[in-house]
Amino acid sequence: MKTKGWVLVILCLVLALGAASGCSKKRASSMPPGATGSDAAVRDHDWASGKGSGYGEDGLTEEQRLARQREKAMSELGQRIQFGFDSYELNQEARGILQQKADVMKSTSGVRLVIEGHCDDRGTEEYNLALGERRARAAYEFLVLLGVSPERLSIVSFGEERPLVKGENETAWAQNRRDEFRAAY
Amino acid sequence: MKIKTVLFALLFVALLAGNASAQGLTVDIHGPGQRKVNLVMLPPRGLSAAAVPGMAKNFEELVRTDLRFMPFLNLMPASAVPGGDPSKGVTAEDINFRPLQLARIDLTMTTGWDGNRLEARVYETFSGRRVVGKAYDDLTDAALPDVADRFCSLLMEALTGKKGFFTSPIAFVRRVGEAKELFTVLPQGRALTQITSLGGFNLGPDWSKDGNQIVFTHLNQERHSLGVWDRRTGEARLYREGLGNTVISPAFTPEGDIAVTLNKTGSADIYMLDKGFRPKGTIASSGFIDVSPAFDSTGRNMAFTSGRFGGPQIFVLNRDTGEVKRVTFVGGYNTSPTLSPDSRYVVFARQTPNGHRIFIIELATGQERQISFGPGNDEDPAFGPEGYYVAFSSNRNGQYRIYLTTRHGDEPILVPTGPGDATSPAWNTAAGGE
Repeated sequence: MKTKGWVLVILCLVLALGAASGCSKKRASSMPPGATGSDAAVRDHDWASGKGSGYGEDGLTEEQRLARQREKAMSELGQRIQFGFDSYELNQEARGILQQKADVMKSTSGVRLVIEGHCDDRGTEEYNLALGERRARAAYEFLVLLGVSPERLSIVSFGEERPLVKGENETAWAQNRRDEFRAAY
Repeated sequence: MKIKTVLFALLFVALLAGNASAQGLTVDIHGPGQRKVNLVMLPPRGLSAAAVPGMAKNFEELVRTDLRFMPFLNLMPASAVPGGDPSKGVTAEDINFRPLQLARIDLTMTTGWDGNRLEARVYETFSGRRVVGKAYDDLTDAALPDVADRFCSLLMEALTGKKGFFTSPIAFVRRVGEAKELFTVLPQGRALTQITSLGGFNLGPDWSKDGNQIVFTHLNQERHSLGVWDRRTGEARLYREGLGNTVISPAFTPEGDIAVTLNKTGSADIYMLDKGFRPKGTIASSGFIDVSPAFDSTGRNMAFTSGRFGGPQIFVLNRDTGEVKRVTFVGGYNTSPTLSPDSRYVVFARQTPNGHRIFIIELATGQERQISFGPGNDEDPAFGPEGYYVAFSSNRNGQYRIYLTTRHGDEPILVPTGPGDATSPAWNTAAGGE
């Protein structure tokens, strides 16, 4: 029984290694179109210097690396935050997410962020427009406090006009009480 | 001496009685409750041996539809009159009022047709007094709805002293694809017109007192703008400068100024705008949410929603003294106030465990009463020009629609608004009054 267990562990390790090598293979094959394997070999030296060829350590051009960085920044900037009913208070989780956004904003120049405030549809339209505004502003003020320049931020309230999900239950309402973040270069 | 006094007293009583009968039947729509008045429409007649034209039936149907909107009228079938049609003609001398009185019918309507000329009358059966009498020449099928509305408006005015109901349009928001646009419609569902095609969300319409303009919030991807639609040009213009990104619940004062919620300093406050649509200064601010201003016909009182004590509650500002009075104390979520034109009442939506419901508060006494009962959500109440009808939106039948009830909470009547969710009714009160 014990031996069987060990065999299983070793088998798993082998499989994991295999998967890892599969990954690295995948990465090699994700070179830009037109770049052949032999080209990559010839440019071996350049990789170390990280200059000249335009390829970084990860085998990407500066442009691609920037694009990836941007993609990552965008996905971090796009993460929503949630609110309680009739509340525009930032909870612990929301503050954590906003801290991340502030870091990204400060390390990525040229990005602007539109903060959208949204509400669930249980309230009434006009009050919800104001509540959505307060939700967007709460995030705005927190980001400014963390050192993001106000010129890079703007807010808009959609009230209850754009629910993320449809449904008359707490799960749907909770998802709809949110700030969305639209980043643009 | 004694006989003289008795005679004098008798004369006085007789004078009083005469006065009372001259005043005739009226309906006190502002009374604590309202009595039901029975009305019968006698079959249409041809005048001077003319045949009854086809449009007589249409006219009768149109009037019947309009009369449904007067909850104090009980429309009786002609068969309720013992012995059948008690008339030989359309005027009082040709009507035998006895069987009508026996059937407890208070009002009798007659219509007489001579080709495309119509004579329409309503009599009080007790006294034989004519309540309304009108003649309309050169009628066409297309003109019939308008004539029916005008006649019923006169009847409404004669009975209640209030005018304007059937001819005062309601502005509202309707979903059009992904967008929300503004429409107008007469309360009985006629003259449905789309007045904006701006795309985005166009929300919270409010009429100017003269009925020539509507202000609203326009919302696109980036920001809010102030929308101003003009009836005379049929065009809507958007204003942004100096307003910031947040423009919520604009409302006209009777003087033609605009109050609107903006966020200039970190909180949503109610500002007054100058004639160039730029903010002059705040009229209500608390550091929290202040929204949904609504004025009475004098403009001296403004109801609004404020989150200054936590959840949203209704407040009334006296603009002369600056005093702000909280008027709702029950429930944790009271929004969307509207003042009656005479400033006696405020209607608003309260969130209850079963959804939003419409409530009315008499401001002088603080006495409160529920006037809508769902199911679903009843929201956005708006007083009619006469301060009697209350329009509101409700999803009681699945989709949001506009309904009418009265201050007394009468059975709601659906306002036909076509396909797409309909919300935020706002009544043009220009034609209202005594």
